[in-house]
Amino acid sequence: MVAVTRRSFLKGSAAVGGGVLASDFLFGGLETLRKTNKVLLADQLTEDYVHTTCWIGKQDCGMRVRRIDGRPVKLEGLAGHPRNDGTLCPKGQAQIISFYDPNRVKTPLIRTNAKGEPGAWRRASWDEALDLVATKVKEVLEEDPKLVLWQKGRSKAKDFYDDAFVKALGCSKLGHGAYCSDTGYRAVEYTVGLHGVLHPDLLNAQYVLSWGWNITNAGGNKFCWITWPRQMLDAMENGLKIVHIDPRLRPAGPFADRWVPIRPATDLAFALALIHELIAQGYVDRPYLTTYTNAPYLVGPDGLFLRDEEDTPLVWDETTRRAVPVGTADSPALEGTYTVDGAEAKTAFELLKEHVASYTPEWASEICGIEAEQIRRIATEFGEHARIGSTVVVDGVEVPYRPVGIMAYHMAQQELGFQALRAMCIVPMLVGAWGAVGGQTADFTWKVDKNYAAFEELKVEEPPYDFTLKNSKFFPINSGFPGIVAKVMQDPERYEVDKLPKVMILHHVNPVVSFASQPDFLEAYKKLEFVAAITPWMSETADLFADVVLPCATIEKYEGPISATDGYIDAVTLRLPPMEPLLESRGEIDIYMDLSERIGVLYGEGGYLSVVNEGLGLTETEFALSLEEKPTVREIFDRWSKAQGLEGISYFEQNGVLVKGAISPTKRYGYVTDPPFGGAVHRLYGESLLKAQRMQQEMGADLIYWQDYTPLPTWREPTMWSSPADYEFTLITYKLVEHKQSRTTTVPLLAELSGPQRLEMNATVGRAKGFEDGDEVVVESHNALTGETRRLKTRIRLIEGIRPDVVGMPHHFGMWSHPSSQGLGPTPNEIFYTGEGYMGATADASFHVRVRVFKE
Amino acid sequence: MARYKMVVDLDRCQGCRACMEACKVENNTPAGVFWMYVFRFEQGEFPDTSISFLPRPCQHCNNAPCVKVCPTGARYKREDGLVLTDFERCIGCRYCEVACPYGVNYFNWRKPDHAFDDYKMDFSDPDLVAFTGGVVPPYRNPDHDVKHGPEGRLTSGSGHFKGVMEKCTFCVHRVEKGLVPACVDTCPVGALRFGDAEDENSPISVFIREHESFQLLEELGTDPSVIYVGGAPPSTESREIERPMTRV
Repeated sequence: MVAVTRRSFLKGSAAVGGGVLASDFLFGGLETLRKTNKVLLADQLTEDYVHTTCWIGKQDCGMRVRRIDGRPVKLEGLAGHPRNDGTLCPKGQAQIISFYDPNRVKTPLIRTNAKGEPGAWRRASWDEALDLVATKVKEVLEEDPKLVLWQKGRSKAKDFYDDAFVKALGCSKLGHGAYCSDTGYRAVEYTVGLHGVLHPDLLNAQYVLSWGWNITNAGGNKFCWITWPRQMLDAMENGLKIVHIDPRLRPAGPFADRWVPIRPATDLAFALALIHELIAQGYVDRPYLTTYTNAPYLVGPDGLFLRDEEDTPLVWDETTRRAVPVGTADSPALEGTYTVDGAEAKTAFELLKEHVASYTPEWASEICGIEAEQIRRIATEFGEHARIGSTVVVDGVEVPYRPVGIMAYHMAQQELGFQALRAMCIVPMLVGAWGAVGGQTADFTWKVDKNYAAFEELKVEEPPYDFTLKNSKFFPINSGFPGIVAKVMQDPERYEVDKLPKVMILHHVNPVVSFASQPDFLEAYKKLEFVAAITPWMSETADLFADVVLPCATIEKYEGPISATDGYIDAVTLRLPPMEPLLESRGEIDIYMDLSERIGVLYGEGGYLSVVNEGLGLTETEFALSLEEKPTVREIFDRWSKAQGLEGISYFEQNGVLVKGAISPTKRYGYVTDPPFGGAVHRLYGESLLKAQRMQQEMGADLIYWQDYTPLPTWREPTMWSSPADYEFTLITYKLVEHKQSRTTTVPLLAELSGPQRLEMNATVGRAKGFEDGDEVVVESHNALTGETRRLKTRIRLIEGIRPDVVGMPHHFGMWSHPSSQGLGPTPNEIFYTGEGYMGATADASFHVRVRVFKE
Repeated sequence: MARYKMVVDLDRCQGCRACMEACKVENNTPAGVFWMYVFRFEQGEFPDTSISFLPRPCQHCNNAPCVKVCPTGARYKREDGLVLTDFERCIGCRYCEVACPYGVNYFNWRKPDHAFDDYKMDFSDPDLVAFTGGVVPPYRNPDHDVKHGPEGRLTSGSGHFKGVMEKCTFCVHRVEKGLVPACVDTCPVGALRFGDAEDENSPISVFIREHESFQLLEELGTDPSVIYVGGAPPSTESREIERPMTRV
């Protein structure tokens, strides 16, 4: 019998049917008939796996890379890595295509046209490009190192970039944090001393306020995604309840036990009502508050602490019935009003009680758009679940047990964010949950940040100010905010600034698209004399403003050291190149070493290499880098690996991650560290905020700068609420799990997975306005202070899981340089504002604005 | 003989679509094609709204309608439970696509070399070819170029021919190496499980026994090998939200 091949089968069919093949109609031509000519013989190929670390997100998951003849074909999760244990998210999977992206910047480029318009470029050698950058940087360094500004979006090897390069140059730096969550960092550093925002001891938690936590799309504090959801699901199997406080339901997916669709920008009011209710219902951990916080400190009529001659704050000793220095009272009073030296003094806690007396659930209900009963019930549940007074033994150590906490991160970026987060810190404080098992924390070990001490006396100096407005009368606490720098660059006189940056080095940052507000960056960056961009793709900022573009690698490089902890297990790793970078791109450490060499700051004491030695802990060890010779990057990490007691970098090449073991309770839980809570007294009452406010007033700063520097979190209406009533929606933004910041729309697999930009609107509201799903609409924002309006166009998506007075857009998109990013629609950063009324008191971005939506 | 089943735990699925992407890279599927698909649904009206997720691979039915209608025997059911397509026998008639109640079949409309054109990446760029040798896509998995199973048929991966029907293979090329499918392997939250249900003591058999479960469109009698645990099947109330740029 003759074997029927597809060819003969179809030929037969054609003969029977006669004439035209059906396949001609269906798919044109006879491709089905032709066997592929690209059969590779598997037994002639070499397959291997190498280890590395994910690059695309924040949390640096462990990876193993499947290679065929040295060509990476798949990225997989590394089993045993504490953060992702053998798994990857969609971004981790998709970025393999970027290794082979011919649309990346292939070689160093030098601009040939005027700045401010899309770039025309000529290819340059690395030598020429680096020489050009070095010459310009040197010129300005000689004039004033602070006029060289290094600006980062994401830095994945702080020791080499933020520290070594910036310190070796002595230049200024700006991060992206003020657009991310820095408001929350400042509030937590101020209030309890940790460097982080808010997360619970999730694996041991029973009741969590998921406050703007985008559970199914984003990470939150410290992690970008995988680790928190894994821990939450495990904790849910042990009874964890999730209360989702968010204008949108989608972030919580099916995991919310209760959804509290709060009105945006009213989180402070909600938290104040929780404080009111917890106190009213008696959920107060008195021993914690009197021992570890400034709640018992006596406050005089001037709002400042009473102090003795040595400047030690006083408390009221109920045993001796007199004011004594803190730490010497037998029985310090938590509450009450006392007469000290003829003047009336109240404890800080007494002031808090009076302060929140009017912040009832009914009061907050009006503001937040949430039923009072809902607020009251949450306070009760939070208080009950806290089990005040209980303890539990962990690894032989008895620790207070308060299985309640708050998960909050990016939601901090709002006009009243600093005080909202202060109030949210006070909620777990009342029940003694900070540093308890199952309770509140903001980091993985209890390490007090240097800002805690710095914030004891805030510096408010006389002008002139530097262009970041550090220590200014405008922002006594200052996160370093690119948005206000853009404002200053446009109008230095207004901010009493005498010198503007001249040279900028853009390190993986795209302010024109990623930061609000776009019009401000478009205007401000015109003033820069020289811009060099280090980026894998042509960023829009580089496209418009760079003089030189230096192409860098993504995963294909050595980088680190990188923490691999999940918060419970201590671990460390490196990023290793699974292949040589294609095209002419290079790892950033190589770029910075070459650049430092040409600028003349690579070698010697205080040079780049010596700061690297310090950062990696190699100084004065046998593994220290020579200060006279440029090492290879692999050699640097080999030395660092040896300093960890390993045989060298080969350990990571073979094993992927160094797992050091469980983090001990005496490092993790604040109650049982030595000293407890790292010695930081928790600031229920913000005395130094009040002092700063008075200095601001004395120096003539406007109310908008000092109004939120209050010792206790105080509600006021956000500026945007005075926009006209027809701007009826508040625009909020959110992250999609498919993307990270703005850089991932360059990955076509992710652009495909997420789909394009959209405006989410409540379906009932949208239909009443005559909108149908998919309609193109205009979104027009309004600046309540200046009256300015801005517009963008996007397509509407009608859903039910969003408040009727809110519209939402993902913050990705809006890029135009990379073919994969094109046609995906605008970024909301085009219509946000920055500066007064649209930023926080601590120089951080707000992502809220009032808008109207209409069809053209 | 093993009998493979997949379990989807809807109490853990976060709808992240990592499985869709892992499948895409592993199987080199063309632009717009997702052999694994995760629905994101919304139910109810504000504020009584709920969200649910539903991963939907090929159901690898034990009573597979697609197999019954295939005129060439290209679509077939293996003893180990996998429903596969022999790409060398498929004539692209699309009967299977019509017969399947789950919508998992993807017709390959393009020549393999053009399957990725929508990504606007020129993989023939000489700077890339020097390293990739011109393989398309550059992450092309060579496992798909060998024949699988005792039957020795070309059944794994995508992009062999224009004009054939493709779908989820339960990653036959991985399963035959003793690995789980790529979607299961990557799931960040342990919502997907895979194993031999013939063995009563295998982890998947134990898991199925210990949990209430359902199959999609049970009433049709297709008897899928994909078992759902937790959550609930989508209802007529479920509205799909957040579709990717897919052509199906």
